[in-house]
Amino acid sequence: MVETLTEKKHGKEAAFGEMYVWREGMDWNPVERVILERRSVRKYRDEQVPEKLVRRILEAGRFAPSAGNAQPWRFVVVRDRDMLDEMEKYVRWRCQILKFMLDWESSPLGRLSWVLSQIYIRLMPNKLHPIPFGAIRLIADGKLKLFHGAPTVIFILEDVRGVSKPQVDIGICGQNMVLAAHSLGLGTCWVGFVELLKFGSKWKKKLGATWPYRFIEAIALGYPVGEPDGMVARELHEIDWWEGGRKRSVF
Amino acid sequence: MAYLTLKERMTIPTYNDPKTCRAGRVVIEHEKCNGCGNCALVCPGACLYVAGVGRDRKAYMVDKAVPDCMSCNACAAICKRGAIRAEQGYDFGGFYKALHRAEMVPPRNF
Repeated sequence: MVETLTEKKHGKEAAFGEMYVWREGMDWNPVERVILERRSVRKYRDEQVPEKLVRRILEAGRFAPSAGNAQPWRFVVVRDRDMLDEMEKYVRWRCQILKFMLDWESSPLGRLSWVLSQIYIRLMPNKLHPIPFGAIRLIADGKLKLFHGAPTVIFILEDVRGVSKPQVDIGICGQNMVLAAHSLGLGTCWVGFVELLKFGSKWKKKLGATWPYRFIEAIALGYPVGEPDGMVARELHEIDWWEGGRKRSVF
Repeated sequence: MAYLTLKERMTIPTYNDPKTCRAGRVVIEHEKCNGCGNCALVCPGACLYVAGVGRDRKAYMVDKAVPDCMSCNACAAICKRGAIRAEQGYDFGGFYKALHRAEMVPPRNF
């Protein structure tokens, strides 16, 4: 039975391809649409998400695949504005310290901060990649908010005793929740900077991020301002394709 | 065949020198822009702002040698008028040299 689903989205009639079949050039099926139209939302309406909706999203996370079915995660849901604001303040303060130490453009330490940054960037090339380095500056200056005003935040703590690569499992679990949330009409944003909460013993205790758990990622959740979702352009990646004993490149 | 030369691998870029690194580049079509400011609101790199009054109110990219644009296209997604888009991915060079990338295109339904 061929059935084309249509839906009004953003004032336009949108066609859907069928599920569980593929025909060349067919419309995006609902799952593909959710994947391709999901954008990170950084401005939320001041309206709480119903508790049952959050519970439903957490179910999507519970059924994520993980190495050895170890499920090396623990969810902590925070819906108190005061608590979120306080965490935001704490992370901002931590970023101000980092900026003071490492940002050679503004630090009063001058040349010393340049030397420090060169050492720390080499020790932590991922965490101090130019993009998060810029984000540290923006958070320190108050130009970038940690949770973007989201009314609900789901922390995903890592159980460090997980099988193989627990952090990968956390990514898979979180992506399940993010896609489920988007399909249910919510906006989400991954927040990796919550890792800085590990420097505050208060937060470690309060959110239960003590051994064997630790902060890895959080997902901000809420109703977006405006219509931030939609398909956009992205870089093509060169893909090596081995077939028939030869390698070719596809994009 | 190494993807990075030893020199590149040892070089930490300066993060702010346009000679060695390239930030994302946003193209704004001012004929289409109505200065609503949604793009500036959602930009994670705080590299957009709106200026001007009335009909001349338009979005602009901040005047920095290397802005914090990560070509995420959040601006393009929220713009109802299709007036803004990131056209180029970032590449900080040296140790962080971007590999195996080509131009930015929307999703393709094969």
